[in-house]
Amino acid sequence: MTASLTLGPVLFNWPVDRWLDFYARIADEAPVDTVIVGEIVCFKRAPFFAEAMGDVIERLGAAGKTVWLASPILVGSERERAAMRDLVEADAGLVEANDMGALALLAGRPHAVGPTINVYNEATLGWMAERGAVAVSLPAELPAATVAVLARAGRELGIETEVQVWGRAPLAISARCYHARAHGLHKDGCQFVCGKDPDGMPVTTMDGQPFLTVNGTQTMSHGCLCLAAELPALVAMGVSRFRLSPQAMDMVRVAEAFRAVLDGRRDGAEVAAELGGLIDAPLVNGFYHDTAGARRVA
Amino acid sequence: MDNFELICPAGTPAALRAAVDAGADAVYLGFRDETNARNFPGLNFTRQDVADAVDYAHARRVEVYIAINTYPQAGNLGPWQKAVDDAARLKVDAVIMADPGLLAYAAKHHPDLRLHLSVQASAANVEAIRLYRDAFGVRRVVLPRVLTVPEIAKLNAEIDIETEVFVFGGLCPMAEGRCSLSSYATGLSPNKQGVCSPANHVRYEQRGGALASTLGGFTINVFGEGEQAGYPTLCKGRFVATGAGEGSGPAYLFEEPTSLNAMDLLPELKAAGVRALKIEGRQRGKAYIAAVVRAYREALETFAAGRPVPHIDLQAMVEGGTQTTGAYTRAWR
Amino acid sequence: MRDPDVRDPDVAPTVFTPDALASRERARRFETGLSRAGLGLMPRLGRRASDVLLARLLRLLADRHPRAFEALREMADARVLIEPVDAPVALLMRVGPDLSLHAVPRGANGVGGGAVGGLGEAGVADAVVRGPYARLLDLLEGRIDGDALFFRRELTISGDTALILALRNTLDGEEEMDLVADAASIAGPLARVLPVLRRNAGPVLDRIEAARRLLPPPLRRGIERVEARLAGVLPGNSPETGA
Repeated sequence: MTASLTLGPVLFNWPVDRWLDFYARIADEAPVDTVIVGEIVCFKRAPFFAEAMGDVIERLGAAGKTVWLASPILVGSERERAAMRDLVEADAGLVEANDMGALALLAGRPHAVGPTINVYNEATLGWMAERGAVAVSLPAELPAATVAVLARAGRELGIETEVQVWGRAPLAISARCYHARAHGLHKDGCQFVCGKDPDGMPVTTMDGQPFLTVNGTQTMSHGCLCLAAELPALVAMGVSRFRLSPQAMDMVRVAEAFRAVLDGRRDGAEVAAELGGLIDAPLVNGFYHDTAGARRVA
Repeated sequence: MDNFELICPAGTPAALRAAVDAGADAVYLGFRDETNARNFPGLNFTRQDVADAVDYAHARRVEVYIAINTYPQAGNLGPWQKAVDDAARLKVDAVIMADPGLLAYAAKHHPDLRLHLSVQASAANVEAIRLYRDAFGVRRVVLPRVLTVPEIAKLNAEIDIETEVFVFGGLCPMAEGRCSLSSYATGLSPNKQGVCSPANHVRYEQRGGALASTLGGFTINVFGEGEQAGYPTLCKGRFVATGAGEGSGPAYLFEEPTSLNAMDLLPELKAAGVRALKIEGRQRGKAYIAAVVRAYREALETFAAGRPVPHIDLQAMVEGGTQTTGAYTRAWR
Repeated sequence: MRDPDVRDPDVAPTVFTPDALASRERARRFETGLSRAGLGLMPRLGRRASDVLLARLLRLLADRHPRAFEALREMADARVLIEPVDAPVALLMRVGPDLSLHAVPRGANGVGGGAVGGLGEAGVADAVVRGPYARLLDLLEGRIDGDALFFRRELTISGDTALILALRNTLDGEEEMDLVADAASIAGPLARVLPVLRRNAGPVLDRIEAARRLLPPPLRRGIERVEARLAGVLPGNSPETGA
């Protein structure tokens, strides 16, 4: 299998115009193979993008991208449930399930499994393959040894494995909105304050050390996960898909850089050094190296 | 109308006896390894301990559940599968699990073993719960702490397996089993190693009269003199949200160091169709377990008799000295 | 709000009637004071004698609580300093294969200063748990929830937090220990006195306390000496040799 690049869904609450411009540029310029779209963090944000979604899907498809639709991470309320069912039943393309509920609805037809579904071992991977999964994006916290076992098992099962190689790592999801809470608001009357932070709200410790990023109901790393230097090892393991998670930065340049490493045109460490200068956060790769995710292992 | 079942924690054989004696209907526990989500030093049960626990509990008509609720490590499924085999051999009454691969193993090799879905699976909707029922024959689901009581009621109306909810103890503000915060700071996670904010990465330091707690080198909290302290569980720390507007000093951004106490919600939980109530705290001492279980037993008896549930003071048991009804009420969000 | 007259709800409840309860609690306070006084006498015994006595106590505890002590021996070699802030002496417990217990004077070699390490010939502590003697005793005996104490800032912890947690969990996994009775049983006369005292705690304590209040200070100290002798750790009550 050739190594392909996936652009994950935009996780932040961007204004619709910015969101449209972003995908227009991705369609025209970014060397990514698959683009996953959908508002997966907060169902309250979804209506803003619903109208424009069709255009985006069409434009990306016209540019030769494979488009997948992502289901929400947390589905508890009736409205969230209805949104999840609509997505699955719309039959508008391959769906990436981000919750076991969506996975249940997708049984028997080809689908992808997103990184917020817990796939930690080959037994679970096998069970998912039996049910029709064709690709699995592995949770960010998995170390190299686990990724290697899953990539090997995936090849035997005919299921593609994917690893996130760029962007802040998703760490947690909640029914509570921390953006609203930080602004003294309730989730029901949140005034969409998460829209103020196109790259998430930085969270520091009481000693002023940068630590986490709040994105509404989602908590992410402050450090930007970067596995550019690890790409050759991942390819050797049999990982065939590499996910770039959008940040408020030049994602076309990021995609180009990763494509160049995959094609053997550029050195991964050199690319990491270059991209590190484009984002206001340290690059981290600790999860992959089986240590604290916030660390960077040379 | 059947009374609620009271499901109580035990981290040690002494705690198990305390829970049984104080009025538990079932006690849940884990083996002494990474197969359970409270893999803390000095805690949990050897195989012989479990055999003794089952004898002690069954003689008093109390059930024993075993939590095998971490996610088995790729390439090393043996310890988890053996834990399931041993749980069946030791005649426990149910096994609490989260990983689909392991659930499939249990359903295939031990068809008579009663399976409960762990909160670590975070099954928060009808579709997800039905999937675990249909695929593995799961008989009960422990609901994640993200649902309101009305949401639980709606859910119960649409599913035909039992639900169990947490009513007391430590409270995850995040969806359980879907959180890598601990892993980000320390490399050790609830899903992989069965630990959250592990003690071997915790340090306390005195700063004058203040007490600072750190996790993996990150300052999680600084308590002023005389202020109630908390264990540095990452999501219950004080942090600074930059750009959160005026007065955005250090705050409990995710959750206060508080404990869940849903004793006041017994009528609502009953009306919502909840079968079992769960007390958190396998890592807590037997004095805690005795006090909390006894209080809940008294509350359940009173409730079953149709009398108003008394207010029982459990203030001294709770972290930070405050209590909350958590996600069960919408205002929490 | 907690009523100050109400017993700590985190102390394992008992089934005694209120009178019996009050009496039991007073006995507990007395025993706590007594054992603390005994501990305070350790330095006067000299290092070797106190070590011998503590080794004896440890052996006895190991016989009575084999599960916990097996677990303590299975831990990695490490030292925990248990430091009562209101007693002149701290206890240094070494866990692991070379399980041992030593008395260390507080305030000497940096122990009282709260520093981890720097314990001179006693070795270096990997972790320190510090608090009022009565609370530490409750904790060691599993009568009270360590987390609750910590939340209320009655205990402070420094150094290797996991080590303290492991020690706490291991001791808590035992049925309630009775360290005072155990200590008494290796300490001569108190072994016989304690059961009587506990049975008749109310009246006996009434008499002792009434007498104490009436006495002039020098005699009060005399009573304290009697109490100390009851603890059986004064020189002359020679312990067995051998560790």
